[in-house]
Amino acid sequence: MKKFLTGITTAAMLTGSAAYAETTLKLVEVITSPERTKVLQSIVDGYEAANPDVTVEIISLPWGQAFEKLATMVAGGDIPDVVEMPDTWQALYAGSGQLASLSDHVADWEHGATLTEKTVAMGSQAGDLYMIPYGFYLRAMFYNKNLLAEAGVAPPETMADFMAASAAVSELEGKSGYCLRGGPGGTNGWVMMAAAMNGTNDFFTEDGKSRMNEPGSVEGIQFMLDLYQNGYAPKDAVSWGFNEIVAGFYSGTCAFLDQDPDALIAISERMPAEDFAVIPMPVGPSGKAFPTIGFAGWSIFKATAHEDKAFDLVAALSAPEANGTWAKRVGVIPVHKGADQDPYFQTEQFEGWFKELNGDQYEPTTMPTYLERWGYFASTVVLETSQEALLGQRSAQDLADEWAEFLTDEHAKWQAKQ
Amino acid sequence: MAGKAVIARAKTTVVSGGTGARRSLYWQYMVEPFLYLSPMILLIGSVMLMPLIVGISYSFQSIELLNPFATGWVGFENYEKLWSDRKFWIALENTVFWTFWSIFFQFLLGLGLAMLLNTQFFGKKLFQALVFLPWAVPTFLSALTWAWLFNPVIGPIPHWLAALGVLSEPYNILGDPDLAIWGPITANIWFGVPFFAITLLAALQSIPGELYEAAEIDGATPWQSFTKITLPFLAPMIAITVMLRTIWIANFADLIFVMTGGGPANSTQILSTYIFTTAFRKLDFGYASTIAVALLIILLAYAVILLWMRKRLVKI
Repeated sequence: MKKFLTGITTAAMLTGSAAYAETTLKLVEVITSPERTKVLQSIVDGYEAANPDVTVEIISLPWGQAFEKLATMVAGGDIPDVVEMPDTWQALYAGSGQLASLSDHVADWEHGATLTEKTVAMGSQAGDLYMIPYGFYLRAMFYNKNLLAEAGVAPPETMADFMAASAAVSELEGKSGYCLRGGPGGTNGWVMMAAAMNGTNDFFTEDGKSRMNEPGSVEGIQFMLDLYQNGYAPKDAVSWGFNEIVAGFYSGTCAFLDQDPDALIAISERMPAEDFAVIPMPVGPSGKAFPTIGFAGWSIFKATAHEDKAFDLVAALSAPEANGTWAKRVGVIPVHKGADQDPYFQTEQFEGWFKELNGDQYEPTTMPTYLERWGYFASTVVLETSQEALLGQRSAQDLADEWAEFLTDEHAKWQAKQ
Repeated sequence: MAGKAVIARAKTTVVSGGTGARRSLYWQYMVEPFLYLSPMILLIGSVMLMPLIVGISYSFQSIELLNPFATGWVGFENYEKLWSDRKFWIALENTVFWTFWSIFFQFLLGLGLAMLLNTQFFGKKLFQALVFLPWAVPTFLSALTWAWLFNPVIGPIPHWLAALGVLSEPYNILGDPDLAIWGPITANIWFGVPFFAITLLAALQSIPGELYEAAEIDGATPWQSFTKITLPFLAPMIAITVMLRTIWIANFADLIFVMTGGGPANSTQILSTYIFTTAFRKLDFGYASTIAVALLIILLAYAVILLWMRKRLVKI
């Protein structure tokens, strides 16, 4: 009876306290993992504690179906207030006038001034800020120390070294050199190889022609095809996505993996730190490498009825301390000035990335996400056509021509709108 | 001719004894039933026909989410594009392959299972419950499970296949364009056998036992009683289940979508996954509807042929 009464009173108190929460904010996260959701929830809990009149409802969309799910939600009028916005969708949503401008909000925000210039630049579209990026994904090369020692090769610095090292490791029984990503999300690999061999990461010439089918770029694409067709990558890598390449690396099936800091989390859990290290991406004939840089951040939909409250939530997620925690747990390079002085980021594990950030021979590459159909190109066109090429159904030149034609068209469309 | 019609019409306007009765008969048999049915007809019309018409009308329009201002009627432009679309023909071929082999094995194994379950043995109830389990597993889950079973780093299947000499080395068949389609087909067979087993078992149990006794007295072999009694009695059920399953499987993209995503290099792209990619990746709803209409026409033709065959061949 006593228990029952306590239960009743607790319930009454809970409903009483819930009555204070007048505002419900819907937050959609799209790059989802259980670990990540936990971190997000803990930051959101802190925000809710500081704002008792606001309840935040977190909706987690698995990345694989996130694009169409969010598009369906928005098209159906079930529009979230705050959304995790990957760089690849920014043009689509900001360009179609769906997102609220954050410039004024950030100007009034106490931490607005410490955002790095790169952060503001990347979150802006046509001179207006539509998202506050929460961190950067930069590509670097993981390598398996034991496999390289066994094959008797040093960590590669140039593309030629990389090919030779991959070949040497593939000589070992049941091992391959490169954890090639032929499946979903493989676009970055192709772009980096093409840029490294071509000596530039400009996607377009002055007159808007794609550089994807210049002879250097074609060589880069051929480089990748050679890696696969010579057997320097596992046979089934033609359909490998993120989970498979990471599993391939930590199980010791293949020795090289190009990945972002977020893969470090999964790999550190399953591989002793002394078994692997991270080096910068190998440089091409021009002495330069062009690791891709990606980002995601928080955006607010224009349709929200609580724009100020929504920005408070975004500010809470983006504050230096919260951003530092987020960056460490999610595996990104943080966005506020001075964050790199944190001892956590001064380990050997991050060396590859900071070498890339500080070295002149490494130029970070941003994908041309301002092109409206870039998302389709990266997720579908590259996937299908590159698999055809890997399987020997078409040539590197043929592939490069098709991509160049698509990108040139898209660029012209974009230019027409400027 | 016209004159005759006028005279005829003039005749009918002349009141004669029979027409009142005929009108009430006409009313009773041709109009009245539809009045009773009208709420249902309206409901079915609004729930099924309207979306169908809207969907078909999309295929004659240009509807691209990325070009919201370029929408409009384009006549048969989408269909012309479809005719010369290499990917469509690949997807069509894969759809036929995927549907045929899935149905073939599901039906054969399902029939065998139903025959086994139609006998008496110890622990039959438990066995029956276990057999129907795959049908109850969410497809998304079974697709993920099968995808990992085929992965040599974690799953056993490639190693077994290599040990049996089917594969030269234990690699993932989902990454091999010549074999990838067999991954989802395997998962589909596992998933779909119970359906055939359940429905065919129900049909088997309704065959009168005296027929078998009479056949035995007449000296029929087991094979003869199977072909002369069991199959003819099962035929209507077989026709309807095969037709239903064919239509379902041809539209069934979940397993393929999760296991291979249509890859590698479109080798497992079927029409429904292609429709999905076109609509939600390319954001081109007009063209996606065109592919959907093509699939609809193919399945309608198939259903008509199967029903006609059933009428001609099954004499019950």
